[in-house]
Amino acid sequence: MSWSTSWRDVAILFRYWIKGRITKATLIWILLGEGFSVALVAFVGGSFISFSASFGLGGGFSGFALDLVFAFILIGLLQSGFSGSGLPVTSADVDYVFTSPVKPRDIFAAKVLLNSLTTMLFSFPPMLVLYLMLSRFYGEPASVAVLAGLTTLAFLVTGLVLSADVTVSLGSSIGPRLKPLRNLLVGLVAVISILPVTLLIPGAPAALSSVTQVLPSGLTADICIALVSGGPWNLSLAVDAILLFVWFVGLLLLGIRMSRGHFYEVLQVTDAGADEIPRGGNATTLLKTAGESVWSVVRMKEGILMKRTKERRGLLVSALFLSGFMVIYSLAGTFQSSPTSFLFVLFIIGSFGSGTASGWLEKERLWIIKTSPLDMRKYIRAVYRARVAPLLLVLTPVTIAVGIPLIAERLAQPGSLIGIALALPVALEVAAVMMGGGMYFAAGYGQSTTDDILTSQAQQMADVKRFLYQTVINLVLVSPLFGLVLGAGSQLPLISLIPVIPLGVLMLGVSLVYSYAILAKLLDASGDSIRRREDL
Amino acid sequence: MVRNTGGIRVDNLTKKYGDLVALNNVSLTVEDGEVVGLIGPNGAGKSTLMKIIVGILKPTSGTVSVGGHDVVNEPEKAKRVMGYLPENPSLYTALTVREFLRFVGKIREVSDDVLDSRISESLRSFALADKADSLVGALSKGMKQKVALTAAILHDPEILILDEPQTALDPKTQAFVIGWIASQGRSGKTVLLSTHNLEVVQDYATRIVIIDRGSVIASGGLESLRRLADTKSDARLVEVFLKLTEGS
Repeated sequence: MSWSTSWRDVAILFRYWIKGRITKATLIWILLGEGFSVALVAFVGGSFISFSASFGLGGGFSGFALDLVFAFILIGLLQSGFSGSGLPVTSADVDYVFTSPVKPRDIFAAKVLLNSLTTMLFSFPPMLVLYLMLSRFYGEPASVAVLAGLTTLAFLVTGLVLSADVTVSLGSSIGPRLKPLRNLLVGLVAVISILPVTLLIPGAPAALSSVTQVLPSGLTADICIALVSGGPWNLSLAVDAILLFVWFVGLLLLGIRMSRGHFYEVLQVTDAGADEIPRGGNATTLLKTAGESVWSVVRMKEGILMKRTKERRGLLVSALFLSGFMVIYSLAGTFQSSPTSFLFVLFIIGSFGSGTASGWLEKERLWIIKTSPLDMRKYIRAVYRARVAPLLLVLTPVTIAVGIPLIAERLAQPGSLIGIALALPVALEVAAVMMGGGMYFAAGYGQSTTDDILTSQAQQMADVKRFLYQTVINLVLVSPLFGLVLGAGSQLPLISLIPVIPLGVLMLGVSLVYSYAILAKLLDASGDSIRRREDL
Repeated sequence: MVRNTGGIRVDNLTKKYGDLVALNNVSLTVEDGEVVGLIGPNGAGKSTLMKIIVGILKPTSGTVSVGGHDVVNEPEKAKRVMGYLPENPSLYTALTVREFLRFVGKIREVSDDVLDSRISESLRSFALADKADSLVGALSKGMKQKVALTAAILHDPEILILDEPQTALDPKTQAFVIGWIASQGRSGKTVLLSTHNLEVVQDYATRIVIIDRGSVIASGGLESLRRLADTKSDARLVEVFLKLTEGS
């Protein structure tokens, strides 16, 4: 076996994976994903800049924030490496690639190459947008933003290689004696990564946070912020760039060295072929039926499924992130400057509902429900109730986090207060309605069978269409609620004639009646869709 | 003891998917207490027929009644009297076995007084008692099949619709399932059994229905099928089947 054979094998695998992945549907998904990421980065970047400007924070704060962002990315990659996802594989890889006479090292190299390429494709546009905003803020030319973007790509690829190395090291190539050392090193990296947080602790030595500069995250943050803020390009930055390169080469060589042995059994299969079998064999039986109505049992079942599949935890973590972001957004003063920012809050909180609904689908288990004498409309209502309750529970603190500072600020202006006061409960209504819309589309168009009724490409296209229809129709459904909030905040003469409290109660009542009516229609239609479905 | 329910009656049933005719004017009956073996080549329409009987699919034309209830007009009443085992039963993998059976029992209207005792009894008879608190997703395929069978009979239905109950099972579990089907027949249950295991059909079915390309091409006991196929008087069912489905 020669190097040329290895290169040939890597090239074949790379080409096969690209051809297998890139379909019309995936291209549309990529474009949609890119569009969403760019929009999100523009919002987040804009808020960050407003926040920095409002509180007179300079380049140092930007460097700290960027360092933290990169540190979190690095920790995420380490975590994914430990869970066996550092080298994502599909069931087709397991069946055909791992059983072929290709060397593990070549498979490792091809996977790293593919991951690096896809990451670069996905990450560069939003990163460029972020750096362009920062360079404009600091009055620097666009060319530095491109350089900062490329440096960040180098960091991401280094992180991916690190994640792959950690995954491979879980296999047999590292002896039991060395495993504690590896775990210690990785733990150390994780601890160092989050050291910039110490800057938030009053009295903590600033030097502590600079320890992070030995890691790829700290090095990248240093280089990038120096580039976009017009900092001097000195020897220290050149050393940073060299160190980043050394990290990359070192980790790559380490990975290639470790992947000489067999490591397949530690990899996690990521595609839908793998069922969501929970880890661990046993669990405490939580579902009680004695004395409960059938609908209460349905709700209990749904709650247990959400708990055991970690859906509820994921919801909570996302809500925490959203709360943090909303508080920064609020402190940045963007809400005060633009009434349309309420719509942004409504949309972001509402899209949570839509996203959560996509987690629900009986899929191939619909036969259990359809062969029972249950009324499908009532069944869907019970499932909805079980799923909307935790959603509203985690979103309520988010709306409170946004609302309290805003309401406190507007107490002196009752006319504009009503718009904000109404926006907050309506945000929850929007989330609830969008969840109903998501369930309607999942009930009618989500895949319900493991049989090949639709080819995978056709199913992907169906998913794209479903996502687009769902988004558009959900927005149409909640637009009257948006209109109500905008109307309340517009201070029209008619509105100013009615006292604030009765007006607020009246408008809230109108929105509640509308939301209830729409939800009832959506849920009944979902039940009817399931009753009509024949693809199982 | 056989109870008088009305069995299964399928009259002039047609099912079309666009231009594709999956079932063409199918008529058959399964009388109370009968074990009818439904056999046919792959794609003949067996699963489609069963899914219409259990109310998952809607017929394009024709009628189906189970236990005297029309499955389109009185679906709830029909579903109360039958138990169904699909070809590839997907279960809630994140529920424990007991939770799954409690849920199924509840939605199939088993009263609270008997539900837990019936679950325990079923788990014992299916040798699953020690798996009651195991997550369904952690079970082997054979065990999952046993759980699905338990779920099918939890509400003590008089009529059982079993679609390929032995698919991909190891020999030991297959033997268990065959024994279980035989016991259902002996206890007077009405069973419609679809399978590719012709030995099982020959040994346990009181009547055999052969379906091919969406139509019933033969129905009756083994003797009458032998005569129809013009085979020897001791011909095995597999021989008769191959003769009758020649060219498909």
